[in-house]
Amino acid sequence: MIPLFRRLQFLFNRRRFDDDLEEELRDHLRRKAADTGIDPRRQFGNVTLVKEESRRMWTWNYLEQLLQDIRYAFRAMSANRLFTAMAALSLALGIGANTAIYSFMDAVMLRALPVQDPSSLVIFNWRAKGEAPIVQDHWGSSYSEPGGGITSPNYPYPAFQLLKTHTDVLESLFGHANGGRLDVVYNGVAELADGQLVTGDYFPGLRVPAALGRIIGPDDDRPGAPPVVMITYDYWRSRFASDPNVPGKSVNLNGKPFTIIGVAAPNFYGVSPASKPHIFIPISDIGLIKPDQDWAAGFNQGTYYWIELMGRLKPGVTMQQAEARLAGPFHNFVLSTATKDRERADLPVLWLQEGGSGVDAMRRQYSEPLWILLGMAGLILLIACANIANLLLSRASSRRREMAVRLSLGAGRFRIIRQLLTESILLAMLGAAAGIGVAALGIRLLATWMGNGEDLPIAVGIDWRVLTFTLIAALTTGILFGLAPALEATKVDTTRALKETRSSEAHARTRLWGLRFGLSHILVIAQIALSLLLVVAAALFVRTLSNLHSISLGFNAENILIFHLDASKAGYSDAALKHFYEDVETRLQRLPGVRAATTTNLPMVSGWSDSTSITVPGIPQPPEGQRGPNTSYVQIGSTFFDTMEIPILLGRPTGKGDVEGAQLVAVVNQVFVDKYFKGTDPIGRHFTFGGNKGADVEIVGVARNARYASLKRDIPPVTYAPWSQANKNRMVREMYFELRAAGDPLALANSVRQVVREASPLVPVAGLTTQVQRIDQTISQERTFAKLCTWFGGLALLMACIGLYGTMAYAVARRTGEIGIRMALGAERTRIVWMVLREVFSLTSFGIVVGFAAVYVAIRIVRSQPELAKKLFFGLQPTDPLALSISVAILLGCALLAGFLPAHRASRIDPIVALRHE
Amino acid sequence: MEAITKPDIPPGTLHMLILKTLARLGSMHGYGVALHIQQTSDNVLQVEEGSLYPALQRMLIKGWVSAEWKQSENNRRARYYHLTPEGRKRLALELTGYRQVTGAIARVIEAV
Repeated sequence: MIPLFRRLQFLFNRRRFDDDLEEELRDHLRRKAADTGIDPRRQFGNVTLVKEESRRMWTWNYLEQLLQDIRYAFRAMSANRLFTAMAALSLALGIGANTAIYSFMDAVMLRALPVQDPSSLVIFNWRAKGEAPIVQDHWGSSYSEPGGGITSPNYPYPAFQLLKTHTDVLESLFGHANGGRLDVVYNGVAELADGQLVTGDYFPGLRVPAALGRIIGPDDDRPGAPPVVMITYDYWRSRFASDPNVPGKSVNLNGKPFTIIGVAAPNFYGVSPASKPHIFIPISDIGLIKPDQDWAAGFNQGTYYWIELMGRLKPGVTMQQAEARLAGPFHNFVLSTATKDRERADLPVLWLQEGGSGVDAMRRQYSEPLWILLGMAGLILLIACANIANLLLSRASSRRREMAVRLSLGAGRFRIIRQLLTESILLAMLGAAAGIGVAALGIRLLATWMGNGEDLPIAVGIDWRVLTFTLIAALTTGILFGLAPALEATKVDTTRALKETRSSEAHARTRLWGLRFGLSHILVIAQIALSLLLVVAAALFVRTLSNLHSISLGFNAENILIFHLDASKAGYSDAALKHFYEDVETRLQRLPGVRAATTTNLPMVSGWSDSTSITVPGIPQPPEGQRGPNTSYVQIGSTFFDTMEIPILLGRPTGKGDVEGAQLVAVVNQVFVDKYFKGTDPIGRHFTFGGNKGADVEIVGVARNARYASLKRDIPPVTYAPWSQANKNRMVREMYFELRAAGDPLALANSVRQVVREASPLVPVAGLTTQVQRIDQTISQERTFAKLCTWFGGLALLMACIGLYGTMAYAVARRTGEIGIRMALGAERTRIVWMVLREVFSLTSFGIVVGFAAVYVAIRIVRSQPELAKKLFFGLQPTDPLALSISVAILLGCALLAGFLPAHRASRIDPIVALRHE
Repeated sequence: MEAITKPDIPPGTLHMLILKTLARLGSMHGYGVALHIQQTSDNVLQVEEGSLYPALQRMLIKGWVSAEWKQSENNRRARYYHLTPEGRKRLALELTGYRQVTGAIARVIEAV
């Protein structure tokens, strides 16, 4: 204990102890000199070493030296702020970008559902060779398969009941369907929430418990059972303020009373990472929340595909076994519903998919882009590591003399190596700390971009595993490239290193194509090559985006505010519904700051479309199974063409005079006319809208072509039909309002809410946005890509420039003497600048050549997958010469700029100072 | 054939030598201790500064010696070390151990 106390004393009075030792040793030397007459310093040897050794007796060596190392490292770092900032910044960006993107991918694609034993869950799908004509009614989604044909997760209810009986392979089978937006009234307050319809085995099958109350069970999913709902934990907290008495309370969904029976376990948001429902409703109650359809028939109809199925395999049963066992019964079922040969020719085939990560709508949408982004982030990390390596290398060689001095003053070799390592590790940790910040910020940016400003329905947090991985990568680089020069530096023959002048330093260099490259040159070349890859990608995506933006819309999208109302959920129907919408429309038109206002049943260029087959006199119906005449359509208000500024080329627009009961009229677009009434006057002509039993419609006008659902796809034939003529059963339920504002459209938001509240306090305003944003949403992937890639390209460029700058600055410093001599001998400043820039240029050119090889390989990969290329690029080829040449120009320009600073400094060297320096 | 010019102080005995010297001289500075060992051993044992001072520091920590600054002969400040009671105990311990070992070594060497 007492020695410990003394050591502590030492720690707090080290200055005095040092002074004592110093004085004592000096006294010792003096005495010795007096006694022997020899110059004491020669005899005594290394004073510092003696001091160091003596001091070591007192210290807890490791801890104290570590603190000392760290203190020293901080001093060294702050002495070289530029170096520190650059290295830490490179690391932070590399670590941050990777962590953010990977965390995102993990949340979207890889994370398992928060349920018990997720690995035994399977998702049911079917695939068909063609359009699967047996699927007469389809509510849900289908995806085209890469090799042709379609795949879909939706099943008829009778098939569900049949498959459920196969308990030899399935422990349980349960289904769910989208419940849509619900008008939720609780305690007299109306709000919108997302619903999920579930079968009685959903919660028991997933083994998700209730956090409060009880779960929905098979008894709740029966016709005639009292209507009940479960809510998610988050919804319970936000809407019900975590009220523990919520179970048993009553809530109105779309005007019908339900009893809340329980709150689901925290973190459970249903089985799809892409949607985040708030309320779970037994599927047998579907008729209560979706009263517009005959569900009694829907449940029993074998050709109505709508319910999504998920099952839990029996222990010991593999997915393949289950698939083999269930495919037969499903085939027999589908065959029994077929009535025509055409249907029998292409029957849906059951297939299973692992369900541990949930349903995959979002994965389909984002997986490829995210993988590409992750690849890019990986490249960024690579560049960052190369940067660190380069900076450490160049710094190590500029510190050779310092090392030699310290060694000859008696510093232990191990001690110096440890010191250098401490510096590298500290630097890596600094970068990592900043990297965490970058990651957090990056995730938020990504979520905003991917979600288009709306809340993304998934929870994303920093993925600590990735963070650890990138951190280790950074640390390894730091240690590797900090250690190698450290070992090298401490091996130096001190006498020679001290005698060496800066200019005569020996450098390990590799001969390559007759040029001499140091390791740092190779690193810079690699960085430039990698940067080129990223810059080219950025250029391609930016060009894609600008191509998309320059597409002519055919209407004026500027200054349009969009929102939607669904008064049907507040109890309006038939004539009252129609009147309500007319009332709101009129009120809005009178609002100050609104130049025009109109209504549609769906927003324009939003990715949404309605289409139907039509019969045009004189055009024969195609043989069965082929697509005949058809039109996309939108139901419009009376001032649609004026508000959207779509010119009417022939005839008249539809208007207030077109009322229910009168002859149905419509305006069609040019494509429609060209396709079905080519060369004739279409005005006054009739066609039948909507198949055999459709309605007769008269064309009263022709509108100029305008984009309908998508920017990318060709404009289809479009029919603009006034909803004022819709018969009361077909009246639009959810209505979109378009307001052309005099100024900033979003500034109208509050007055719009006010107007709607005056019309009815029970109808909530939803989806307030602008037409421009709406359009941007349809190209969100391209936008996100272009943004991120530009970011990445810029980042790569920045880091390559930092690397280049570091290398050149170091080279100039090393050649100070040489440059001094050149200038003393009469070299002009410009010549010196050129000398340095020439080196920059040759390094960059090499990098670009190597980079082009990489670009070539990347382009070949993309081209080998035309689907992917089509998805990624619009209006250009990946070999787009403009994008490529712009990239090279940018890279070269930035490189020369980065090189110019050291070059300029070189030309400012004062020859006298430089020569005396040696 | 290697010539033995200046044998090193046998490992482990430096502490004992210093303690013994201090016991004999009462109070002495580092140089004095080194000089005393050298002279008493007829120049056979040379105490290097590189081991003397670390050893002294170590003994300070252990509490075997204590040190104080005093005015020396020619009016200079010097750091004088002297034994503590603990140091005395330690010396006795080390001496016993040393004698046992040297006795044992001697028996091994002299045994035919």
